[in-house]
Amino acid sequence: MNELKRLKKDWKENQKFPKISKKEIYGLLHKKSASVVKWIFIISIIEFSFWTLLSLIFKDNEAQRRFEQYEMDHITMPLIIFGYLVLIYFFILFYGNYKSISTTVNSKELMEKILKTRKTVKYYVIFNLLFLCISIIIGIYIELNNSPDINLITSGFTEKEDYYIWYSIILVITILAIVCITALFILWYYLLYGLMLKKLKKNYKYLKKIELDIE
Amino acid sequence: MKSTNEHEFVVLIEKNQNLIHKICRLYSNSDAEHKDLFQEITIQLWKAYPKFRGDSKFSTWMYRVGINTAISLYRKSRRRIKSFSFQDIDYKIPQSEPYDDSKDRQLNSIYEAIKVMNDIDKAIIFLYLENRTYKEISRTIGLTEVNARVRMNRIKNKLKEQLNPNHE
Repeated sequence: MNELKRLKKDWKENQKFPKISKKEIYGLLHKKSASVVKWIFIISIIEFSFWTLLSLIFKDNEAQRRFEQYEMDHITMPLIIFGYLVLIYFFILFYGNYKSISTTVNSKELMEKILKTRKTVKYYVIFNLLFLCISIIIGIYIELNNSPDINLITSGFTEKEDYYIWYSIILVITILAIVCITALFILWYYLLYGLMLKKLKKNYKYLKKIELDIE
Repeated sequence: MKSTNEHEFVVLIEKNQNLIHKICRLYSNSDAEHKDLFQEITIQLWKAYPKFRGDSKFSTWMYRVGINTAISLYRKSRRRIKSFSFQDIDYKIPQSEPYDDSKDRQLNSIYEAIKVMNDIDKAIIFLYLENRTYKEISRTIGLTEVNARVRMNRIKNKLKEQLNPNHE
């Protein structure tokens, strides 16, 4: 069959392809950064769903119902809405990071995007921790001003010193609570994101080394 | 140790990259698909690299992994291969060949006829064009030698039918 012979000849001669450089091949192999960033996005969504589910499960508990009776919605609602909005903003950033990193082959840009992702995760964790501390402080403040039990205790105070001692105790308990809860959350975030950030860092260092080696 | 391996692998891929390009030429319909497939094959080769023991030639091993990747991607997404943009690479597939109409209409018709073949037939004709023996073709694709021969004959007949001047 003549056509096949011609085809074979053309196939042999027609081998002009774009040359992919070593650096670009390295970039292709380091697509795994994309999968780490994808997992950061997925885990942030799972984490968000986990906390939302937990708050729904405990919506009807006694403490929650008592807190609702204080009618402090003008403080708690804006706080909750603000929290959700910022979280949504972070999810969008995480998704954007994932999308842009999966379309990057150039190793220099990949490195920049790895740095950007690491920064986003750090800000996300810092925001969550700050938000947690602020929520604890506001929660305690509302409780102190509204709880009938506390009113009962403070109504018995006659001396100024009683108030000083009382508020000092509250202050110490608040600080201790914040420190303990923050420490627990730092551990939680380290396990969730810290390990992935380490992988990204390792990948970043490797890409940087390749950049230097090949230049 | 890992980085030495990686460097070794990258050098081999750079040297043999035309082989991947040729597989992409048959299994893709656009520049974007060509680039995506190139990337996917390279990643699959890298994943499989620890198993490459050197008892076959690197190129033979590349044929096997490359074709299997192309086939499985082709089967996974009959529609289109998932698109990653490669705009960061200054990477342009020359449009003149073999996608070009003006160069040689008949040759172009053959390429077109191959493009619409099923995944296995494409692999067979690819290896045939690469001057592989039927024994190698059968081993690479996982067919019996007889089956490979029969299929190649069928492909030849199909091409003959499609290129019949009466159809022109």
